Amino acid sequence: MEQEKKLTEQESLHLITMMINKAKDSYHDTGVGAMMWGAVIAVCSLVRLSELHFGYRLPFDIYLLTLAAIIPQIFITIKEKKERRVKSYDDAFIDYLWLGFGISIFLLILISNNIFNEWGAWTNEYKPETGKGNSFGFYEFVAPLFLMLYGMPTFVTGAACKFKPMMWGGLFCWVCCIVTIYTSIKIDLILTALSAIVAWFIPGILMEKEYRLYKKEQAQLNV
Amino acid sequence: MFNDLDPILHSQLRLAVMSLLISVKEAEFTFLKEKTNATAGNLSVQIQKLKEAGYIEVIKQFKDNYPQTICKITSSGIRAFEEYVKNLQAYLTQPK
Repeated sequence: MEQEKKLTEQESLHLITMMINKAKDSYHDTGVGAMMWGAVIAVCSLVRLSELHFGYRLPFDIYLLTLAAIIPQIFITIKEKKERRVKSYDDAFIDYLWLGFGISIFLLILISNNIFNEWGAWTNEYKPETGKGNSFGFYEFVAPLFLMLYGMPTFVTGAACKFKPMMWGGLFCWVCCIVTIYTSIKIDLILTALSAIVAWFIPGILMEKEYRLYKKEQAQLNV
Repeated sequence: MFNDLDPILHSQLRLAVMSLLISVKEAEFTFLKEKTNATAGNLSVQIQKLKEAGYIEVIKQFKDNYPQTICKITSSGIRAFEEYVKNLQAYLTQPK
């Protein structure tokens, strides 16, 4: 591009449009993070389901896997940020949205555990008199709350990035949230696994496919 | 009555750089070079002119021991660009 070439008005307008479109097309998410979280949540839910169904217990809580997944996520984020040569206005917004989501999930676990511990102690006190155990299922109670939270950042990210699979994924989480209010824990776990696949794993695969295509195009342009 | 188009912006490479920077929060020099297909020398000169006009901010830093140049549009750059587009539209919609 020559630096001092004078432009006609039409050429100027065409150039502005072309460059704005080029800037818009400048960043593609690798989709690795979305795929990883989709897989982790689906695996956790399905393992817990098998524990309930087959009546065994792993020596550790399978949901600890979500804590372990934070470590690779940090590396993925650092790597992606290093590779990016451009920052959009949406980036900071999306980053804070998912950070807020992580904090909300942590608080939800904390609150639910607290409620359940107090509720459990209270019902145990009355057990000798009533002869009945605790009928209040902890996981049954929290599944809709988790699904409600899963849907929010997924839907907003999909809408902000104009990425429809994620928008549909967010909506799917909310539909499952309503369904799980009325279903048993086993169905709740199946729907949680399904939501993680629809909201994150599948969009992650699609993002990764787009990213590879973009990289290929870039490589061809630079030959 | 039409206002003159800003001579700083009414140049191919400078307008291309400003159009890219208006769409993003900040961009690396290598990104601008790739998108405009300009040579590094040409681009440096035009970026310097935009910087002197106060339209962009240039941040020089190191990333993994390599020098890195980041460009950001300033608020006066945004105003100048908006004014330029407004004047451009006035030219294009004038009756012939």
